[in-house]
Amino acid sequence: MVEAKPEAVKTQGLFKRFGAQIAVAGVDLLVPRGSFAGLVGPNGAGKTTTLSMVTGLQRPDGGLIEINGHNVWRDPVKVKSRIGVLPEGLRLFERLSGRELLLYNGELRGIPRDEVARRADELLRVMDLVESQDKLVVDYSTGMRKKIGLAAALLHNPDVLFLDEPFEGVDPVSANTLVDVLQRYTSSGSTVVFSSHVMDLVERLCDWVSVMSRGSIVAQGPIDSIRNGRSLNEAFLDLVGVRGGGEEGLSWLGSSSA
Amino acid sequence: MVGLFVRLKLRLISGNLRGDTVKQVGFVLTSLIALACAAGGFALFALLRLASPDIASNVAIVAFTVFTIGWILVPLLAFGLDETLDPSRLALFPLTARQMAAGLFAASATGPWPLASLVALAGAVAGLASGAGGVLIGVLAVLLQFALCLVASRAVTTALSATLRSRRGRDALAVGAVLVIVLFQLPGLLANRGLSGDPAALLDSLASALRWAPPGMAAHAIADGGLAGLGELAVVAATVAVLTWLWIAALRRSLVTPDSSNQSGGAVRRSRLGGLLPQGMVGAVVAKELKYARREPRGRIAWLMPIVVTGVLTFSLRGPDGWEGPLLAIGPACFAAVMIGVQAANSFGIDGRSLWMNAVAFSTERDVRTDFAGRQLAVAIIAVPLLLVLSVAASLIMGRPAWIAPAVFTAWGVLGVGLGVGAVTSVLVPYTLPERINAFSGAAPGQGGEAFLGSMAAMLGAGLLALPVMLPVFLGLTWASVLAVPYGLLAAWGGRRLGGVIGHNRLPEIVAAVSRPT
Repeated sequence: MVEAKPEAVKTQGLFKRFGAQIAVAGVDLLVPRGSFAGLVGPNGAGKTTTLSMVTGLQRPDGGLIEINGHNVWRDPVKVKSRIGVLPEGLRLFERLSGRELLLYNGELRGIPRDEVARRADELLRVMDLVESQDKLVVDYSTGMRKKIGLAAALLHNPDVLFLDEPFEGVDPVSANTLVDVLQRYTSSGSTVVFSSHVMDLVERLCDWVSVMSRGSIVAQGPIDSIRNGRSLNEAFLDLVGVRGGGEEGLSWLGSSSA
Repeated sequence: MVGLFVRLKLRLISGNLRGDTVKQVGFVLTSLIALACAAGGFALFALLRLASPDIASNVAIVAFTVFTIGWILVPLLAFGLDETLDPSRLALFPLTARQMAAGLFAASATGPWPLASLVALAGAVAGLASGAGGVLIGVLAVLLQFALCLVASRAVTTALSATLRSRRGRDALAVGAVLVIVLFQLPGLLANRGLSGDPAALLDSLASALRWAPPGMAAHAIADGGLAGLGELAVVAATVAVLTWLWIAALRRSLVTPDSSNQSGGAVRRSRLGGLLPQGMVGAVVAKELKYARREPRGRIAWLMPIVVTGVLTFSLRGPDGWEGPLLAIGPACFAAVMIGVQAANSFGIDGRSLWMNAVAFSTERDVRTDFAGRQLAVAIIAVPLLLVLSVAASLIMGRPAWIAPAVFTAWGVLGVGLGVGAVTSVLVPYTLPERINAFSGAAPGQGGEAFLGSMAAMLGAGLLALPVMLPVFLGLTWASVLAVPYGLLAAWGGRRLGGVIGHNRLPEIVAAVSRPT
């Protein structure tokens, strides 16, 4: 690794509109290699659309996307085998069991069957899913679905992992498992990009943050430079430019009033 | 309490319509149809006065029974249409089961369809009753019959509500819905086969059996109009009372039984046959598709339908004025092959929202083509033996074993053509299959056009491409059926090649098209 390594993720002027609404208005996302990166922003900021375009699931209307220096849309062969994806909404093959889902994913990516089975067994054990490995995914709880989704995304040992709201609706125990696995993964030099609006979690896990608002990046860089002495939550609210007043009204609420 | 529930129901109906023009138009249409049904039902019952008293009372007996069955089945199949139907939503309110039963009863009597039923049933008084006493008994009988419909329907939905909310219950129900539709075809089939030449005799035997069930008694009481009628009404009233008691008991139980819909189902067996499949992408896709055909209700229905339709076709073609010659055996098998082929016209539909998993892994045209190869192989693994059985059965039923070979070869060829065309339509006009219980609506809201276009294109395309093999066989050159199988293989290969090229370029669009919210 003598030469300058290209960034893990780099987009330039990424643009997408749905009808009259502009969802992503020229995003220049930058994620250095080996970082644990958080993509934060309020609902509707364009995080999901950006991640779908970066992972090749949604066609951008304009702009450039490179992963490890390879263009996602012009060179999918080089990109797709090196990335893992967990999109929003827990959309999985519902009528396969957790184990079958992993085997399907592995074989789809051309990994030999024995190797897939070995990796699947290990992943199921680490994710604490051994007991429910033969149950259908349709019967899984939210936490179990996130864990099996992450296992499927990790199975082919990708360089870059994209996770859309991986901790939403997950119980603390499963969240802890997810965090453990992800930290182990990044400590070996791989890159994680995940979207979230849980600031505490981003602050605790990430070393790189990109803040999105209304379809563009309003700040990005190492987490300490974004925080600049404040808590990430305060920094985020300042950057996004919304400070709500919760003091007025609701005078009847609480036990002090009649 | 009764007034409150009626207002709740009315508010739910109006709230559902607020700000949605399509729904408003739909509601107006539904109300108009309900009005027409009410008027039509009333008029038809009233017309019974023109028939002989015997026939009139027989028709009324059968009609009342059908009404009751309809009231029990329709809410079951359409569970979820009416939010007041689900007692678990009301479990947290401080209501006794008795209060709740009264309220739910009132709520279920509110709405266009219950009122239409009441009006239609009232027609029986106009059609059957004689004299002032007859009218009095008639009005009582109609009210009791209406109450019977409501209470029976409520008792059944409440007793099954826990099951209906669980995943397994809904799966079973989706398949059950198909069976109900098939059952409704049976009378027509039987009549078609000429089991009973005389409709009046058939009606008579049917009515004499149904006469002693509560709905039959209510109908008979109107026609009778005397003391015997009063006695029958007492029985109907007792039935309503018993059903109400059962309903309240079920309600009481469902209010304190925890919602089991989120409890996980059992484990599935690991497939032992999986090891026989080739390694790699083809094997993985075949294994997944075969599991989906077995575990997904839409998959089960997709395979049930060709079997049922072919069976019906075989029996209805066989008759004095049916078709002649080898077509009798070849027709049904080919028809089944076309039906299976048309289901392949939207291959990605059942994958739906999970198709992204394939899309993030596929990077070349070859990947998409291999996916199609797996899907085609999976269909063939089920369809090839199935078509063989259907061909043998059809030929043997016709008494012509010699037709087995041409029938099965032609059907296999048609299947190949259908799969080939399906691979192309799957990538050109993909659409979302709805996940609701109702297994009959074809596509997600707003995609009806795509669904129609896709199936039409698949049928026309497959029909035209299959002509070179079907035509000579249908014209009597049965030896030409030998060529059907290689021709079908060629078509399937060509289809998946073309589908691979187009599909690779359209992957994001296909994923979006099959992932619409339903």
